[in-house]
Amino acid sequence: MKNMTENTIKITVTVNGQPHRLEVDAHETLLEMIRNRLDLTGTKKCCGEGECGACTVILDGRAVNSCIILAAEADGGEVLTIEGLAEEGKPGALQQAFLDKGAVQCGFCTPGMIMAAHYLLENNPHPTEEEIREGLSGNLCRCTGYGKIVEAVQAAAAAAGEAEK
Amino acid sequence: MKEPIIGRSINRVGGLPRVLGTQVYVADVKLPNMLHAKLVHLDCTHARIRGIDVSEALKVEGVRAVLTAEDLPKPVPRFGPAYQDRPLLAVGTTQFQGEPVAIVAAESEHAAAVGASRVKVDYEELPAICSVAQALDPAAELVQDPELRADGPFKNTNVMDEWIFGWGDVDSCRAEEVIEENYVFPIVTQFAIEPFTFLAEPTMDGITVYSAIQIPYGLQRTIAAVLNLPLSRVRIIAPDPGGAFGGKQHPKFEPLLAYIALHLGRPLRLELTLEESFQAVRRASAEVRVRSGFRSDGTLVFQDIESNYLIGAYADIAGRVVSKASYVAAGPYRVPNVRIVARAIFSHTTPSTAFRGFGAPQENWAVESQLDAIALKLGMDRIAIRLKNLPKKGEVFMPEDPPADGDWAEALRRAAEAVGWGTPLPKGRGRGIAMGLKAGPTTAASYSIVRLHLDGSVTVYSGTSDMGQGARTVFTQIISEELGIPADRIVVTMGDTGAVPFDLQTSASRSTVVMGSAIVKACDDIKRQLKDLAAECYGVRAEAIQVSPGAVHLPEGDRSFLELLKDRFGRVKGEVIGVGSARYEYLKGHPLGGQPAFYEVVAVGAEVEVDRETGETGVHKLVVVGDVGKAINPQHVSMQDEGAAIQALGHSLMEHYVMDSSGRVLNLGALDYRIPTTKDVPERFVSIHIENADGPGPYGAKGVAEGGILATAPAIGGAVEEAIGVRIRDLPLTPERIWSALNTRKERG
Amino acid sequence: MRNYKYLRPETLDEALSIMEQFGAQARPLLGGTDLMVRIQKGQAEPAAVVDLKRVRDIEARIDFEEGMTQIGARVVLSDLVRHDRIRTTYPALVEAASIVGSIQIRNRATLVGNICNASPAADTVPPLMIYGASVVVAGSSGGGHGEAGQRRVPLRDFFLGPGKTVCGPSELVVAVHIPVPQPPFGSAFGRLTRRRGVDLATINMACSIDADGLTTFVFGAAGPTPILVGDESGELADADLPQSRQDGLLQSLIEKTSPISDVRSGREYRQAMLLTIARRVLRQAQARRQVQAG
Repeated sequence: MKNMTENTIKITVTVNGQPHRLEVDAHETLLEMIRNRLDLTGTKKCCGEGECGACTVILDGRAVNSCIILAAEADGGEVLTIEGLAEEGKPGALQQAFLDKGAVQCGFCTPGMIMAAHYLLENNPHPTEEEIREGLSGNLCRCTGYGKIVEAVQAAAAAAGEAEK
Repeated sequence: MKEPIIGRSINRVGGLPRVLGTQVYVADVKLPNMLHAKLVHLDCTHARIRGIDVSEALKVEGVRAVLTAEDLPKPVPRFGPAYQDRPLLAVGTTQFQGEPVAIVAAESEHAAAVGASRVKVDYEELPAICSVAQALDPAAELVQDPELRADGPFKNTNVMDEWIFGWGDVDSCRAEEVIEENYVFPIVTQFAIEPFTFLAEPTMDGITVYSAIQIPYGLQRTIAAVLNLPLSRVRIIAPDPGGAFGGKQHPKFEPLLAYIALHLGRPLRLELTLEESFQAVRRASAEVRVRSGFRSDGTLVFQDIESNYLIGAYADIAGRVVSKASYVAAGPYRVPNVRIVARAIFSHTTPSTAFRGFGAPQENWAVESQLDAIALKLGMDRIAIRLKNLPKKGEVFMPEDPPADGDWAEALRRAAEAVGWGTPLPKGRGRGIAMGLKAGPTTAASYSIVRLHLDGSVTVYSGTSDMGQGARTVFTQIISEELGIPADRIVVTMGDTGAVPFDLQTSASRSTVVMGSAIVKACDDIKRQLKDLAAECYGVRAEAIQVSPGAVHLPEGDRSFLELLKDRFGRVKGEVIGVGSARYEYLKGHPLGGQPAFYEVVAVGAEVEVDRETGETGVHKLVVVGDVGKAINPQHVSMQDEGAAIQALGHSLMEHYVMDSSGRVLNLGALDYRIPTTKDVPERFVSIHIENADGPGPYGAKGVAEGGILATAPAIGGAVEEAIGVRIRDLPLTPERIWSALNTRKERG
Repeated sequence: MRNYKYLRPETLDEALSIMEQFGAQARPLLGGTDLMVRIQKGQAEPAAVVDLKRVRDIEARIDFEEGMTQIGARVVLSDLVRHDRIRTTYPALVEAASIVGSIQIRNRATLVGNICNASPAADTVPPLMIYGASVVVAGSSGGGHGEAGQRRVPLRDFFLGPGKTVCGPSELVVAVHIPVPQPPFGSAFGRLTRRRGVDLATINMACSIDADGLTTFVFGAAGPTPILVGDESGELADADLPQSRQDGLLQSLIEKTSPISDVRSGREYRQAMLLTIARRVLRQAQARRQVQAG
């Protein structure tokens, strides 16, 4: 096995389109790598056990909980975080829908929620309400009660549908 | 005529950074040369510490210091918002599961965690007091050392304090019928998605502490006292909390970190795990006995309420929770005779603290469920019985306090209509309705500074904490309205005691009413100054000048604020600084220290369906009607209603601490402490605002952020009862509990 | 809590020799949704974490060969439940796999991982067992692995207790093999949780009725391992069987379980729900078998 010393691993990983060469600790999680090494603090830590979704990122095209993935496992992979969704510092359509529909209160769950919603819409552009709830069921929110979050995703899906026409 | 911004649902101010991921929460703050801390605590409830061996921990690479109570000044500094009972680290014994016995400071979080795992604690587990019955047993050990407590009849008991309120004469009055029942509200925890994180930084001036604290000025006083520093040398920077719900009001580990940071000369950061956050804060559980006397036509004659709240090992703000909630326990009703006895009872558990509703959900659960029981006994409709006893607006219903400040019957009727009360109900379903009452703030001190800059933009300084309720937005709208400034040219600065003037606290749904009023006054101050500036500048008598939002009106014509500032300040430049404050003074002799500024009143309706075989409950519809005075931002009000109601859904159907016989909590963390997910919410949620501009706040506003959590449980309880024919008086109404209630009844035949 | 090595073998031989070297001190890593949580909580303190995701011989493939479906160890649950042929052939497995955790979990968690974690409440195990699934265990030379260095263990013989399987410290599960059921065959999955959202099962179960009317139940979270029981009378295959007779037969199957009280539920409730859910799951299996019978 190349690239490994006692407890560190050299990896290459692309984050938000930017390639990085890093030497990570064996025990370092993808979340820690993103927040601490790359200073991308938009992705949040809450439960640390894959139950709350606050740490959701897209890894190799799939929404995952970055708190229970080792940074080393992302070697050769592509990561998309909340910071990667903005277009030149401006909110994308999904992010704008969250703002317009009142889906943001304290905002701590918001990055993870938006990443999960982004993944949902990428794979299912016209989800039913039930599919939205199912797709976001891995993201806990304590402030909003979820209603306006679901509305925001519906609005974003509808807007994208209109744009397609 | 410009369209008013008050009453418009403008987008959240501060929403953009949150959706972009650029919002800085306290855990996102990084300082150079920062050390990381990890707490050492025992996996048991109550223990005598025989010895702590830190030698192995100190050998871990990267560990810089390991401290126990032995390393702190003697006597070990104590703190607390009511009185100073809580030590920086456990002294001699651990008083609750999670109380730290040591703290490790290291170069990395990982090293601190490894170090913490190597600290060896020799301890002896002691029997713990974890229930009201255990605490009140005359032979019970005392949870808190009497030396820490004030003199009084309870000093040598586990009763922290007892309050007796009421009026009339419960014992002598005549009631045709009497019923008595007992209700239980469980221990639940705030579970903000942001775990507790703190950072202490020694600075040139003294110390800066970063904490997402709802009451920065309270923390400032505590740190100053513990470190023996003047307030001016203690700076609290309070980033917007990632959810708080009251759990982030009072200091926790900031004083300890501040002490160590000063000692080591380096910034020190502590991030609690979610499990540790659960061990840090909770709501007080309560056992409430209600004995009610009434006439056969449903008129209430007396309410005799005895509430025992199980608080934690340290007082925190639990006494205030019990007194404030029990004071209005009889609810928003006309009751000629009331006796309320309420106690705060110590236990070896996590200190209970403020949690949205502040004791009122516990009382409302009991008293509203009791009203349903009365209705059932009399064969009366549950709306009718409430309408019978609701006071009219302006009617005195508590002899020493302001009269009813809203049309509460209207709220009830709107809730009934929205939930379809009286319409045919499909099989297996039930409907419930309940009212909720909470007393608004009784004392207050909010100061605000508003700066009108040369270009007509504004910065406002407000010590309110925006934890998601949208205070920034409301304040922006107020200033926009008062001064005629577009919302996107207003910046709200909060969370820095070094720059922002004093605010007593963010609590009790007060920010719109109290800080909002201070901001209005600051705007008035600006307008007064602009009038004088115009008089000076244009040589006109002040009396001949009118000031309206955005412009001054002179006899010869109008000048916009921008033009006036340019004309008056010219080349030398300047700005206009407005100051405003709102205070409610302490009222000696009033049991709460002051009359409530307003009553937060809500009516909640629910329709549920119960699977009788499994006990599973689905909520089809949940309606919250708030008497809000004025919805400055209607979308924000609805957001509060929905968030609070779903939080209440949690304690209604699924949330509770599960403890073993030694008091150890078995379900810490997100896996086994169940809160509602996207799949657990009602199919339909409706928020209705009653706006009669009858509140004390700007434009007639009242506080709204807690309404939804006050009465959801009894509404759901009533709905479940209608669906299954059995009343359950203990929350949460889990499937297992509902199934047990149904099957117990079956056995009785 | 200690530091561990992260190792990433590229062949099965490499992987097995690491397992041999470290013994019980090495933990295999696929999805990590169980292992990483246990490490984070201090419940597991391995000396080495062995990431198998680059091992050439451990597949992320689903193959169908002569009445046998082969699912490689790297197949994640979200791919499994989307697979058309899996959906039609093993509906109970798809029902179960669809509710393991959230989509974020299912995008990482593997079927093999869910099996090897050996939780008595594992959702995929009861359906796998009613379908007669086996795991393919790879080991170093010797140890009964035969020429291919692999042995097949039926799931009914795989679990020893909570968190314990017959898999030795230097062995790895590399695939799951599931026979294709002969029609008419009906199968269903059911479970009970504390909330509608993502949750661990209070109880779960799967039921199958085969062409001969043999009715098999596997009950999960009702004993130290999933409990396989069957009724050969054929009576339970009959949708018109009187309720009391059906309940009697179901009850005698449920008697083989030993549910406990724990943080999720009391014993009495679990016991009662075993029958309640069994009725529902049986009904669904009957209906599915009926569809195949035509």
